[in-house]
Amino acid sequence: MKAPRVFQLTALALVLVSAVQVGWWLFDQHRLAVDKLQEMQQIYAQQVVAAQALLEAGTPAARVQALLPDIVVNNQRAALSADVDGRLRAEERRRVAQYAWEGSFFIIALAACIAVIAGALRAEARVIEEQESFLALVSHQFKTPLASLQLSLETMSLRPLSPEQSRTLIDRMLSDLARMEGMVTQILESIRLDRGRIDLRNEPIDLAAAVARVITGSEERAAKERITVSADIERGLGVMADPLALDVILRNLLENALSAVAPLGGGTVAFTGRRADGEARLSIRDSGVGFRPGDAARLFQKFSRLHPGGGGSRFGTGLGLYIVRRLMQLTGGRIGAHSEGVGQGAEFVLAWPASEPRQSVAGAPGDAAVPARREHS
Amino acid sequence: MMHRILVVEDDPHLGAGVVENLRAEGYEVESVADGRRALEWLAGNACRLVLLDVMLPELDGLTVCRTLRERGDNTPVLFLTARGDPIDRVRGLEAGGDDYLAKPFHLRELLLRVRAILRRWEWYQSASAAEGAVLRFGGNEVEFRAFRARSWNGVGQELTEKEAMILKVLAERPGEIVSREDLLERVWGYDVFPSTRTVDNFILRLRKRFERDPANPRHFLTVWGVGYRFMTEGEPS
Repeated sequence: MKAPRVFQLTALALVLVSAVQVGWWLFDQHRLAVDKLQEMQQIYAQQVVAAQALLEAGTPAARVQALLPDIVVNNQRAALSADVDGRLRAEERRRVAQYAWEGSFFIIALAACIAVIAGALRAEARVIEEQESFLALVSHQFKTPLASLQLSLETMSLRPLSPEQSRTLIDRMLSDLARMEGMVTQILESIRLDRGRIDLRNEPIDLAAAVARVITGSEERAAKERITVSADIERGLGVMADPLALDVILRNLLENALSAVAPLGGGTVAFTGRRADGEARLSIRDSGVGFRPGDAARLFQKFSRLHPGGGGSRFGTGLGLYIVRRLMQLTGGRIGAHSEGVGQGAEFVLAWPASEPRQSVAGAPGDAAVPARREHS
Repeated sequence: MMHRILVVEDDPHLGAGVVENLRAEGYEVESVADGRRALEWLAGNACRLVLLDVMLPELDGLTVCRTLRERGDNTPVLFLTARGDPIDRVRGLEAGGDDYLAKPFHLRELLLRVRAILRRWEWYQSASAAEGAVLRFGGNEVEFRAFRARSWNGVGQELTEKEAMILKVLAERPGEIVSREDLLERVWGYDVFPSTRTVDNFILRLRKRFERDPANPRHFLTVWGVGYRFMTEGEPS
């Protein structure tokens, strides 16, 4: 067992022992107080008996009262003064109330400590479990492109190949390497996001320009897979966000949409940007494999890959949409996903508080004059 | 004769690489990218071997293999998977798989294993055909080609591919001692199983099917510390 865990468990045990000890002290004090009060009551009862004896022996009542000031005499009958009786009962009530309040306070305080430590222990166990499953999943994700890479290389070394066959294998290997590089980037991004080690700027960005830039970056893939990507963004629609974060968000969503459409042999991906209810909303709708409506929330979980019948990318790490959601949260926006069902396409909607863009687009070198509407296929 | 192989792999690059290499070896290869299509294809087509990825869209490879076996389809299955832990291997074999190759794998090893499975299958098919395909012992009758049997009490039995192959290896050498390693090598190939205990479990299953008193076997005899001896006439009890 690791040292911090031993320390935490020891602390938990100590707090538990302390709680029991405090409980015992309170019980003991209460018992002591009750015993004391009973003793006092016995002493007063003896005084009453003594006063009665003196009265019966002929001692004048005034003399008896002078000797025993807490005793009152009425018609030759000795009794404890109502004042003293009330004082004794009040004292008993005060002590009981004191122990009840103090006891409850200490017990609650200790219980809170126990809950905090137990919570910390559970959280740590969860983190360890997550790390282990993260490692298992990461290694699993890498094995397929690695296997493909190894197979291509061994094919090249084992068989005589034509220049065309060699070219195909080289392209495949380069693509596998790009996949692995993409995975490493995504894994590192997700770790940085998880640990909060990300420093985001907040500046006005023109959404049309940002969208146009990511579309341009995927032109080649879209054309190869016969996917028409279009953008219709309201002129001047801007958001306050980090330009690099926004680029990652849009790139991931576009890749996701392309991967959902590709298995169907072609289709469309449409970006639509509108200002509504004081928000800038960007919708990315694809005609791809879609997902079951009940799976919408699962899409954004780490390592969730729903596959067709789910819309997951064949080459995906299951981290893309998780990163998108985290970045949206960090940039003050939100994201939702919707599909009518498997085979019905899907729509992802991003929403930020609206802002006016500046003339030049931050973080988008050379893209300041991108038209608001453009199409690529 | 050209062997037909079905490759079920959802990763396009790996799938293409495997298909191209098998074709280069002279096999006829078909490929599909998900479990459901694999089952659909196998329902209407026959092949000598299925290379089956475990993590597949729609239906995972283990379910595909189990479904095949439930259908009575004994086509050999070689699992290809990124999960190579011993427990995953056992799961694959329990689902009715014949062999298991963890990714990333060596091309030569893949080709060797494919050849080994096809060779074992060929041996079984040809041997079953050559000998009239019916084995009789102690009132039991086994039709190797159909994987069917009728036991001494008249009950019909559907044999699994492995049960039939073990029986075949034993029946080829009646009265001789066959070691567990021999059985493993002939029926499964080399390093598939973590232990030879698996063979013992299959022998227990055969005894339950064909022995009048499985606790006191007369046909499937244990030779302690070595393996098994098959007696067609039955050991006098």
